[in-house]
Amino acid sequence: MHLVRSLKRLVPLVLVLVITLTACSSAPSKYDQVQEDTTGFSAPAAVDKTAEKGGTFNQFFPEAEGDYTVVPSQEKQGFAEYKLKRGGETVAMLSINDTISLPAAAAKYENATTMVAGFPSVVQGSTATGLLVNDRYQVKVLSRDASFTEADRAAWLEKFDLQGLSQLEADTKAFRKAQKTATPDIRTAPQNSEPKTAPTLVPQPAG
Amino acid sequence: MSKKIYEKVDKLPKGGLTVMALNSLDKFVPGQWENLVGFDHTIKQVTGETDEAMVQAIGERAIALFNDKSQGYQRALWMYESVDSASGLLGAAAMANRIGQDTFLGFLKNISPKPEKAQTVDLVVKLVTEVVAFCHINGIPGDSLGDFLAALGDYGGESLMRMAALVSFDGVIPLGADFSGKALKLIKGMGPSDLDNNPTFKGVKEEIPGNNAKGKLSFMTESFESTKGWMDKFVSDKGITQGNVVDNLSGFVEGSKSKLDYLGAFLDVSVKYYEHTGVQTLARRLIERSVAEL
Repeated sequence: MHLVRSLKRLVPLVLVLVITLTACSSAPSKYDQVQEDTTGFSAPAAVDKTAEKGGTFNQFFPEAEGDYTVVPSQEKQGFAEYKLKRGGETVAMLSINDTISLPAAAAKYENATTMVAGFPSVVQGSTATGLLVNDRYQVKVLSRDASFTEADRAAWLEKFDLQGLSQLEADTKAFRKAQKTATPDIRTAPQNSEPKTAPTLVPQPAG
Repeated sequence: MSKKIYEKVDKLPKGGLTVMALNSLDKFVPGQWENLVGFDHTIKQVTGETDEAMVQAIGERAIALFNDKSQGYQRALWMYESVDSASGLLGAAAMANRIGQDTFLGFLKNISPKPEKAQTVDLVVKLVTEVVAFCHINGIPGDSLGDFLAALGDYGGESLMRMAALVSFDGVIPLGADFSGKALKLIKGMGPSDLDNNPTFKGVKEEIPGNNAKGKLSFMTESFESTKGWMDKFVSDKGITQGNVVDNLSGFVEGSKSKLDYLGAFLDVSVKYYEHTGVQTLARRLIERSVAEL
Protein backbone atom coordinates (compact mmCIF):
# COMPACT_ATOMS: atom_id res chain seq x y z
CA MET A 1 0.00 0.00 0.00
CA HIS A 2 2.81 2.29 0.88
CA LEU A 3 4.28 1.77 -2.58
CA VAL A 4 0.95 2.50 -4.27
CA ARG A 5 0.57 5.72 -2.31
CA SER A 6 4.08 6.78 -3.29
CA LEU A 7 3.39 6.02 -6.93
CA LYS A 8 0.17 8.03 -6.80
CA ARG A 9 2.07 11.00 -5.49
CA LEU A 10 4.62 10.61 -8.26
CA VAL A 11 2.10 10.52 -11.11
CA PRO A 12 1.52 14.28 -11.34
CA LEU A 13 5.25 14.90 -11.24
CA VAL A 14 5.91 12.40 -14.02
CA LEU A 15 3.08 13.87 -16.09
CA VAL A 16 4.52 17.35 -15.76
CA LEU A 17 7.95 16.08 -16.74
CA VAL A 18 6.62 14.24 -19.78
CA ILE A 19 4.65 17.26 -20.95
CA THR A 20 7.62 19.58 -20.44
CA LEU A 21 10.06 17.32 -22.25
CA THR A 22 7.68 16.77 -25.15
CA ALA A 23 7.11 20.48 -25.50
CA CYS A 24 10.81 21.31 -25.43
CA SER A 25 12.10 18.74 -27.89
CA SER A 26 11.32 19.52 -31.50
CA ALA A 27 9.63 17.10 -33.85
CA PRO A 28 11.94 15.03 -36.04
CA SER A 29 12.58 16.50 -39.46
CA LYS A 30 13.47 14.90 -42.77
CA TYR A 31 16.50 17.21 -42.72
CA ASP A 32 17.91 15.96 -39.39
CA GLN A 33 20.22 13.46 -41.12
CA VAL A 34 21.85 16.05 -43.39
CA GLN A 35 22.13 18.42 -40.43
CA GLU A 36 24.05 15.74 -38.54
CA ASP A 37 26.21 14.89 -41.57
CA THR A 38 27.21 18.50 -42.19
CA THR A 39 28.00 19.64 -38.64
CA GLY A 40 30.75 18.71 -36.21
CA PHE A 41 34.50 18.37 -36.57
CA SER A 42 34.57 15.71 -39.28
CA ALA A 43 31.87 17.35 -41.42
CA PRO A 44 32.89 17.78 -45.06
CA ALA A 45 33.08 21.34 -46.42
CA ALA A 46 30.15 22.26 -48.66
CA VAL A 47 32.50 24.13 -50.97
CA ASP A 48 35.82 22.64 -52.04
CA LYS A 49 38.86 24.78 -51.23
CA THR A 50 40.12 24.47 -54.80
CA ALA A 51 36.84 25.62 -56.36
CA GLU A 52 37.22 28.44 -58.88
CA LYS A 53 36.62 31.96 -57.56
CA GLY A 54 33.07 33.07 -58.36
CA GLY A 55 34.41 36.33 -59.79
CA THR A 56 36.20 34.42 -62.56
CA PHE A 57 32.83 33.47 -64.01
CA ASN A 58 31.49 37.02 -64.41
CA GLN A 59 33.10 37.51 -67.83
CA PHE A 60 31.19 34.58 -69.33
CA PHE A 61 27.65 35.77 -68.51
CA PRO A 62 25.39 37.17 -71.25
CA GLU A 63 24.97 40.92 -71.68
CA ALA A 64 21.66 42.82 -71.43
CA GLU A 65 19.68 42.52 -74.65
CA GLY A 66 16.46 44.08 -75.94
CA ASP A 67 13.90 44.22 -73.11
CA TYR A 68 16.12 42.09 -70.92
CA THR A 69 18.53 43.33 -68.26
CA VAL A 70 21.12 41.20 -66.47
CA VAL A 71 21.69 42.12 -62.82
CA PRO A 72 24.45 40.62 -60.61
CA SER A 73 23.01 38.63 -57.73
CA GLN A 74 25.52 36.37 -55.97
CA GLU A 75 29.25 35.74 -56.17
CA LYS A 76 30.63 33.09 -53.84
CA GLN A 77 33.52 30.67 -54.16
CA GLY A 78 32.73 28.29 -57.01
CA PHE A 79 29.50 30.08 -57.87
CA ALA A 80 28.17 33.19 -59.61
CA GLU A 81 24.57 34.09 -60.35
CA TYR A 82 22.75 36.86 -62.20
CA LYS A 83 19.08 37.77 -62.44
CA LEU A 84 17.54 38.02 -65.87
CA LYS A 85 14.89 40.73 -65.72
CA ARG A 86 12.23 41.91 -68.12
CA GLY A 87 10.11 44.97 -67.32
CA GLY A 88 11.52 45.04 -63.79
CA GLU A 89 10.41 41.45 -63.09
CA THR A 90 12.86 38.58 -62.61
CA VAL A 91 11.99 36.00 -65.28
CA ALA A 92 15.00 33.71 -64.85
CA MET A 93 18.23 33.16 -62.96
CA LEU A 94 21.52 32.59 -64.79
CA SER A 95 24.30 30.73 -63.03
CA ILE A 96 27.72 29.11 -63.38
CA ASN A 97 29.11 26.79 -60.72
CA ASP A 98 32.21 24.67 -60.24
CA THR A 99 31.04 21.08 -59.71
CA ILE A 100 34.27 20.20 -57.91
CA SER A 101 32.31 20.81 -54.72
CA LEU A 102 29.39 18.63 -55.84
CA PRO A 103 30.47 15.87 -58.24
CA ALA A 104 26.91 14.50 -58.44
CA ALA A 105 25.98 17.69 -60.28
CA ALA A 106 28.47 16.82 -63.03
CA ALA A 107 27.63 13.12 -63.01
CA LYS A 108 24.09 13.73 -64.23
CA TYR A 109 25.47 14.85 -67.62
CA GLU A 110 27.13 11.47 -68.27
CA ASN A 111 23.99 10.09 -69.86
CA ALA A 112 22.82 13.32 -71.45
CA THR A 113 21.20 12.76 -74.82
CA THR A 114 20.93 16.41 -75.79
CA MET A 115 23.61 18.92 -76.70
CA VAL A 116 23.35 22.71 -76.51
CA ALA A 117 26.07 24.59 -78.38
CA GLY A 118 28.07 21.38 -78.44
CA PHE A 119 27.90 20.74 -74.68
CA PRO A 120 25.90 17.98 -72.93
CA SER A 121 22.65 19.35 -71.60
CA VAL A 122 19.86 18.16 -69.29
CA VAL A 123 16.53 19.45 -68.10
CA GLN A 124 16.32 19.19 -64.33
CA GLY A 125 13.08 19.27 -62.37
CA SER A 126 10.44 21.55 -63.84
CA THR A 127 12.29 24.87 -63.99
CA ALA A 128 15.95 24.31 -64.88
CA THR A 129 18.08 23.53 -67.91
CA GLY A 130 21.82 23.09 -67.56
CA LEU A 131 24.88 22.18 -69.55
CA LEU A 132 28.36 21.09 -68.57
CA VAL A 133 31.61 22.57 -69.86
CA ASN A 134 34.92 20.68 -69.59
CA ASP A 135 33.27 18.04 -67.39
CA ARG A 136 33.47 20.62 -64.62
CA TYR A 137 31.65 23.95 -65.02
CA GLN A 138 27.88 23.81 -64.91
CA VAL A 139 25.94 26.58 -66.63
CA LYS A 140 22.26 26.84 -65.78
CA VAL A 141 19.20 28.87 -66.66
CA LEU A 142 16.31 28.61 -64.18
CA SER A 143 12.83 29.90 -65.00
CA ARG A 144 11.25 32.16 -62.38
CA ASP A 145 8.18 33.04 -64.41
CA ALA A 146 5.80 30.76 -66.27
CA SER A 147 6.25 32.83 -69.44
CA PHE A 148 9.94 31.89 -69.57
CA THR A 149 9.81 28.50 -71.27
CA GLU A 150 12.20 25.60 -71.72
CA ALA A 151 12.96 26.93 -75.20
CA ASP A 152 13.84 30.33 -73.69
CA ARG A 153 16.19 28.59 -71.29
CA ALA A 154 17.99 26.76 -74.08
CA ALA A 155 18.25 30.02 -76.07
CA TRP A 156 19.77 31.90 -73.12
CA LEU A 157 22.23 29.09 -72.39
CA GLU A 158 23.68 29.73 -75.84
CA LYS A 159 24.19 33.42 -75.02
CA PHE A 160 26.84 32.60 -72.40
CA ASP A 161 30.44 32.77 -73.60
CA LEU A 162 30.72 28.98 -73.47
CA GLN A 163 33.86 28.88 -75.61
CA GLY A 164 35.52 31.33 -73.23
CA LEU A 165 34.48 29.22 -70.25
CA SER A 166 35.89 26.10 -71.91
CA GLN A 167 39.28 27.83 -72.09
CA LEU A 168 39.28 28.36 -68.35
CA GLU A 169 42.27 26.66 -66.89
CA ALA A 170 41.13 24.16 -64.32
CA ASP A 171 43.03 22.74 -61.42
CA THR A 172 42.73 19.35 -63.03
CA LYS A 173 44.79 17.45 -60.48
CA ALA A 174 42.55 18.42 -57.57
CA PHE A 175 39.49 17.93 -59.75
CA ARG A 176 40.39 14.39 -60.82
CA LYS A 177 41.18 13.49 -57.22
CA ALA A 178 37.78 14.72 -56.10
CA GLN A 179 36.10 12.83 -58.93
CA LYS A 180 37.89 9.64 -58.02
CA THR A 181 36.85 9.72 -54.37
CA ALA A 182 33.32 10.97 -54.99
CA THR A 183 30.29 8.87 -54.26
CA PRO A 184 27.37 9.42 -56.63
CA ASP A 185 25.16 11.30 -54.19
CA ILE A 186 27.53 13.00 -51.81
CA ARG A 187 25.64 15.02 -49.22
CA THR A 188 22.54 15.44 -51.37
CA ALA A 189 21.40 11.93 -50.48
CA PRO A 190 22.77 10.02 -47.49
CA GLN A 191 23.71 6.43 -48.29
CA ASN A 192 21.05 4.94 -46.09
CA SER A 193 18.27 7.05 -47.58
CA GLU A 194 15.57 5.74 -49.84
CA PRO A 195 16.35 5.81 -53.54
CA LYS A 196 13.44 8.18 -54.07
CA THR A 197 15.70 11.13 -53.21
CA ALA A 198 17.87 10.49 -56.24
CA PRO A 199 15.56 11.00 -59.27
CA THR A 200 16.29 14.70 -59.20
CA LEU A 201 19.57 14.07 -60.90
CA VAL A 202 18.34 11.75 -63.62
CA PRO A 203 19.09 13.40 -66.96
CA GLN A 204 16.29 14.24 -69.31
CA PRO A 205 16.64 15.45 -72.86
CA ALA A 206 16.55 19.21 -73.24
CA GLY A 207 13.99 20.59 -75.64
CA MET B 1 24.96 23.23 -30.79
CA SER B 2 24.74 24.38 -34.36
CA LYS B 3 21.70 26.32 -35.40
CA LYS B 4 19.38 24.56 -37.79
CA ILE B 5 18.44 26.86 -40.62
CA TYR B 6 15.43 24.72 -41.55
CA GLU B 7 14.08 25.03 -38.02
CA LYS B 8 14.63 28.80 -38.00
CA VAL B 9 12.54 29.10 -41.17
CA ASP B 10 9.92 26.61 -39.98
CA LYS B 11 9.51 28.50 -36.71
CA LEU B 12 9.19 32.03 -38.07
CA PRO B 13 6.07 33.59 -36.58
CA LYS B 14 3.00 33.82 -38.80
CA GLY B 15 1.48 36.59 -36.68
CA GLY B 16 2.26 38.82 -33.73
CA LEU B 17 3.62 42.33 -33.42
CA THR B 18 6.55 41.93 -35.83
CA VAL B 19 4.38 40.60 -38.64
CA MET B 20 1.67 43.19 -37.98
CA ALA B 21 4.21 46.02 -37.96
CA LEU B 22 5.73 44.83 -41.25
CA ASN B 23 2.30 44.43 -42.83
CA SER B 24 1.52 48.01 -41.85
CA LEU B 25 4.23 49.10 -44.31
CA ASP B 26 2.62 47.32 -47.26
CA LYS B 27 1.10 50.66 -48.22
CA PHE B 28 4.59 51.97 -49.08
CA VAL B 29 5.93 48.84 -50.79
CA PRO B 30 2.72 47.23 -52.05
CA GLY B 31 2.86 43.50 -52.66
CA GLN B 32 6.60 43.31 -52.05
CA TRP B 33 6.49 41.21 -48.93
CA GLU B 34 4.81 37.93 -48.33
CA ASN B 35 5.49 36.40 -44.94
CA LEU B 36 7.11 33.19 -46.20
CA VAL B 37 7.20 30.66 -43.37
CA GLY B 38 8.34 27.02 -43.55
CA PHE B 39 11.52 25.72 -45.17
CA ASP B 40 9.94 23.51 -47.85
CA HIS B 41 7.25 26.09 -48.56
CA THR B 42 9.97 28.71 -49.10
CA ILE B 43 11.85 26.37 -51.47
CA LYS B 44 8.71 25.85 -53.53
CA GLN B 45 7.84 29.55 -53.62
CA VAL B 46 11.34 30.73 -54.48
CA THR B 47 12.13 28.13 -57.16
CA GLY B 48 8.68 27.27 -58.49
CA GLU B 49 9.75 23.64 -58.08
CA THR B 50 7.05 21.14 -57.09
CA ASP B 51 8.86 17.80 -57.39
CA GLU B 52 9.25 16.59 -53.79
CA ALA B 53 12.57 14.81 -54.40
CA MET B 54 13.98 17.94 -56.00
CA VAL B 55 12.71 20.07 -53.09
CA GLN B 56 14.44 17.70 -50.66
CA ALA B 57 17.71 17.84 -52.63
CA ILE B 58 17.59 21.66 -52.71
CA GLY B 59 16.90 21.74 -48.96
CA GLU B 60 19.80 19.42 -48.20
CA ARG B 61 22.26 21.44 -50.27
CA ALA B 62 21.04 24.66 -48.63
CA ILE B 63 21.59 23.17 -45.18
CA ALA B 64 25.09 21.95 -46.13
CA LEU B 65 25.99 25.44 -47.42
CA PHE B 66 24.64 27.12 -44.30
CA ASN B 67 26.55 24.72 -42.02
CA ASP B 68 29.86 25.39 -43.82
CA LYS B 69 31.14 28.25 -41.66
CA SER B 70 33.54 29.44 -44.37
CA GLN B 71 30.57 30.47 -46.50
CA GLY B 72 29.56 33.36 -44.24
CA TYR B 73 25.87 32.53 -43.90
CA GLN B 74 26.08 31.86 -40.17
CA ARG B 75 27.76 35.21 -39.56
CA ALA B 76 25.02 36.97 -41.49
CA LEU B 77 22.36 35.26 -39.40
CA TRP B 78 24.22 36.15 -36.22
CA MET B 79 24.32 39.80 -37.30
CA TYR B 80 20.60 39.95 -38.11
CA GLU B 81 19.78 38.39 -34.75
CA SER B 82 22.24 40.44 -32.72
CA VAL B 83 21.33 43.83 -34.09
CA ASP B 84 17.69 43.27 -33.18
CA SER B 85 18.24 41.85 -29.72
CA ALA B 86 20.89 44.43 -28.82
CA SER B 87 18.81 47.39 -29.90
CA GLY B 88 15.95 46.14 -27.76
CA LEU B 89 18.14 45.44 -24.76
CA LEU B 90 17.42 48.68 -22.99
CA GLY B 91 13.72 48.19 -23.07
CA ALA B 92 13.88 44.46 -22.52
CA ALA B 93 14.98 44.92 -18.93
CA ALA B 94 11.98 47.09 -18.26
CA MET B 95 9.73 44.65 -20.09
CA ALA B 96 10.90 41.74 -17.99
CA ASN B 97 8.83 42.97 -15.06
CA ARG B 98 5.63 43.08 -16.94
CA ILE B 99 5.30 39.89 -18.91
CA GLY B 100 1.86 39.58 -20.41
CA GLN B 101 1.17 43.29 -20.68
CA ASP B 102 2.08 43.81 -24.31
CA THR B 103 0.18 47.01 -24.77
CA PHE B 104 1.64 50.34 -25.63
CA LEU B 105 0.00 52.13 -22.72
CA GLY B 106 1.29 49.57 -20.22
CA PHE B 107 4.69 49.90 -21.79
CA LEU B 108 4.81 53.68 -21.30
CA LYS B 109 5.06 53.31 -17.54
CA ASN B 110 8.23 51.29 -17.81
CA ILE B 111 10.45 53.03 -20.27
CA SER B 112 11.79 56.39 -21.22
CA PRO B 113 12.44 57.32 -24.84
CA LYS B 114 15.91 56.86 -26.25
CA PRO B 115 17.95 60.00 -26.67
CA GLU B 116 18.39 61.06 -30.30
CA LYS B 117 22.07 60.18 -30.17
CA ALA B 118 21.34 56.57 -29.18
CA GLN B 119 18.60 56.35 -31.78
CA THR B 120 21.01 57.62 -34.42
CA VAL B 121 23.60 54.98 -33.53
CA ASP B 122 20.84 52.34 -33.75
CA LEU B 123 19.85 53.52 -37.21
CA VAL B 124 23.40 53.71 -38.54
CA VAL B 125 24.48 50.37 -37.02
CA LYS B 126 21.45 48.67 -38.56
CA LEU B 127 22.26 50.13 -41.95
CA VAL B 128 25.88 49.00 -41.73
CA THR B 129 24.69 45.56 -40.60
CA GLU B 130 22.67 45.37 -43.80
CA VAL B 131 25.69 46.13 -45.96
CA VAL B 132 27.99 43.69 -44.13
CA ALA B 133 25.37 40.91 -44.01
CA PHE B 134 24.68 41.46 -47.72
CA CYS B 135 28.35 40.78 -48.45
CA HIS B 136 28.42 37.69 -46.23
CA ILE B 137 25.39 36.27 -48.03
CA ASN B 138 25.93 37.36 -51.62
CA GLY B 139 29.64 38.07 -51.81
CA ILE B 140 30.43 41.15 -53.86
CA PRO B 141 28.63 40.37 -57.11
CA GLY B 142 29.88 41.68 -60.43
CA ASP B 143 33.12 43.10 -61.65
CA SER B 144 32.82 46.73 -60.67
CA LEU B 145 31.51 49.07 -58.03
CA GLY B 146 28.67 49.82 -60.43
CA ASP B 147 27.76 46.11 -60.54
CA PHE B 148 27.84 45.94 -56.76
CA LEU B 149 25.61 48.99 -56.43
CA ALA B 150 23.24 47.53 -59.05
CA ALA B 151 23.00 44.35 -56.93
CA LEU B 152 22.37 46.41 -53.80
CA GLY B 153 19.84 48.58 -55.60
CA ASP B 154 17.94 45.56 -56.86
CA TYR B 155 16.36 44.98 -53.48
CA GLY B 156 12.96 43.38 -53.50
CA GLY B 157 10.75 41.19 -51.37
CA GLU B 158 11.70 40.86 -47.74
CA SER B 159 14.95 42.80 -48.22
CA LEU B 160 13.09 45.85 -49.48
CA MET B 161 10.60 45.45 -46.64
CA ARG B 162 13.48 45.40 -44.14
CA MET B 163 14.76 48.68 -45.58
CA ALA B 164 11.26 50.19 -45.48
CA ALA B 165 11.05 49.20 -41.81
CA LEU B 166 14.51 50.62 -41.09
CA VAL B 167 13.65 53.95 -42.65
CA SER B 168 10.19 54.11 -41.03
CA PHE B 169 10.65 52.61 -37.56
CA ASP B 170 14.26 53.58 -36.85
CA GLY B 171 14.39 56.76 -38.92
CA VAL B 172 11.16 58.66 -39.52
CA ILE B 173 9.29 57.79 -36.29
CA PRO B 174 11.99 58.63 -33.74
CA LEU B 175 13.85 61.35 -35.67
CA GLY B 176 11.29 62.90 -37.99
CA ALA B 177 11.02 63.36 -41.76
CA ASP B 178 14.50 64.87 -42.06
CA PHE B 179 15.93 61.90 -40.16
CA SER B 180 18.82 61.25 -42.52
CA GLY B 181 20.19 64.79 -42.34
CA LYS B 182 19.72 64.89 -38.59
CA ALA B 183 21.37 61.48 -38.10
CA LEU B 184 24.30 62.36 -40.35
CA LYS B 185 24.91 65.58 -38.42
CA LEU B 186 24.74 63.75 -35.11
CA ILE B 187 27.03 60.90 -36.14
CA LYS B 188 29.59 63.31 -37.52
CA GLY B 189 29.69 65.01 -34.13
CA MET B 190 30.25 61.76 -32.23
CA GLY B 191 33.42 60.28 -30.83
CA PRO B 192 34.37 56.66 -30.15
CA SER B 193 33.05 56.88 -26.57
CA ASP B 194 29.54 57.50 -27.89
CA LEU B 195 29.72 54.12 -29.61
CA ASP B 196 31.30 52.16 -26.80
CA ASN B 197 28.34 52.84 -24.53
CA ASN B 198 25.74 51.92 -27.09
CA PRO B 199 24.26 48.40 -26.76
CA THR B 200 23.36 48.10 -30.45
CA PHE B 201 26.92 48.91 -31.50
CA LYS B 202 28.35 46.58 -28.86
CA GLY B 203 26.11 43.78 -30.13
CA VAL B 204 27.71 43.63 -33.58
CA LYS B 205 30.92 45.67 -33.33
CA GLU B 206 33.24 42.76 -34.20
CA GLU B 207 31.65 42.55 -37.61
CA ILE B 208 31.90 46.25 -38.45
CA PRO B 209 35.01 47.00 -40.52
CA GLY B 210 37.64 49.10 -38.73
CA ASN B 211 40.52 48.40 -36.36
CA ASN B 212 39.08 50.30 -33.43
CA ALA B 213 36.01 52.31 -32.43
CA LYS B 214 37.36 55.32 -34.32
CA GLY B 215 37.85 53.32 -37.52
CA LYS B 216 34.44 51.71 -37.16
CA LEU B 217 32.80 55.08 -36.59
CA SER B 218 34.41 56.36 -39.73
CA PHE B 219 33.17 53.34 -41.75
CA MET B 220 29.68 53.82 -40.34
CA THR B 221 29.65 57.52 -41.18
CA GLU B 222 30.82 56.87 -44.74
CA SER B 223 28.30 54.09 -45.27
CA PHE B 224 25.47 56.25 -43.99
CA GLU B 225 26.55 59.23 -46.05
CA SER B 226 26.70 57.18 -49.23
CA THR B 227 23.25 55.67 -48.75
CA LYS B 228 21.61 58.88 -47.54
CA GLY B 229 20.52 59.78 -51.06
CA TRP B 230 18.88 56.38 -51.55
CA MET B 231 17.03 56.69 -48.24
CA ASP B 232 15.83 60.25 -48.95
CA LYS B 233 14.56 59.24 -52.38
CA PHE B 234 12.87 56.17 -50.93
CA VAL B 235 11.04 58.29 -48.35
CA SER B 236 9.90 60.87 -50.89
CA ASP B 237 9.02 58.35 -53.65
CA LYS B 238 6.93 56.24 -51.28
CA GLY B 239 5.39 59.23 -49.50
CA ILE B 240 6.55 58.07 -46.07
CA THR B 241 5.76 60.54 -43.28
CA GLN B 242 5.63 60.29 -39.53
CA GLY B 243 1.88 60.78 -39.74
CA ASN B 244 1.09 57.97 -42.14
CA VAL B 245 3.51 55.45 -40.58
CA VAL B 246 1.82 56.06 -37.23
CA ASP B 247 -1.64 55.96 -38.79
CA ASN B 248 -0.89 52.53 -40.21
CA LEU B 249 0.43 51.32 -36.86
CA SER B 250 -2.39 52.79 -34.79
CA GLY B 251 -4.61 49.84 -35.67
CA PHE B 252 -2.72 47.69 -33.22
CA VAL B 253 -0.61 50.09 -31.15
CA GLU B 254 -3.34 52.07 -29.44
CA GLY B 255 -2.68 55.50 -27.99
CA SER B 256 0.57 55.91 -29.89
CA LYS B 257 -0.19 59.04 -31.89
CA SER B 258 0.64 61.51 -29.16
CA LYS B 259 3.71 59.65 -27.92
CA LEU B 260 5.96 59.31 -30.94
CA ASP B 261 9.20 59.22 -28.97
CA TYR B 262 7.89 56.34 -26.92
CA LEU B 263 6.57 54.58 -29.99
CA GLY B 264 10.11 54.25 -31.35
CA ALA B 265 11.24 52.62 -28.11
CA PHE B 266 8.22 50.33 -28.09
CA LEU B 267 8.98 49.14 -31.63
CA ASP B 268 12.61 48.56 -30.61
CA VAL B 269 11.59 46.11 -27.95
CA SER B 270 8.58 44.46 -29.52
CA VAL B 271 9.36 44.25 -33.21
CA LYS B 272 12.19 41.98 -34.38
CA TYR B 273 11.99 42.90 -38.02
CA TYR B 274 15.71 42.53 -38.78
CA GLU B 275 15.86 38.97 -37.55
CA HIS B 276 12.52 38.00 -39.10
CA THR B 277 13.17 39.31 -42.60
CA GLY B 278 16.89 38.50 -42.31
CA VAL B 279 16.13 34.79 -41.88
CA GLN B 280 13.84 35.03 -44.91
CA THR B 281 16.52 36.72 -47.03
CA LEU B 282 19.12 34.18 -45.97
CA ALA B 283 16.84 31.25 -46.78
CA ARG B 284 15.98 32.71 -50.19
CA ARG B 285 19.62 33.22 -51.17
CA LEU B 286 20.69 29.78 -49.93
CA ILE B 287 17.86 28.20 -51.91
CA GLU B 288 18.67 30.19 -55.05
CA ARG B 289 22.27 29.03 -54.86
CA SER B 290 21.40 25.43 -54.07
CA VAL B 291 18.98 24.90 -56.93
CA ALA B 292 21.54 26.35 -59.32
CA GLU B 293 24.42 24.23 -58.02
CA LEU B 294 22.71 20.84 -57.94
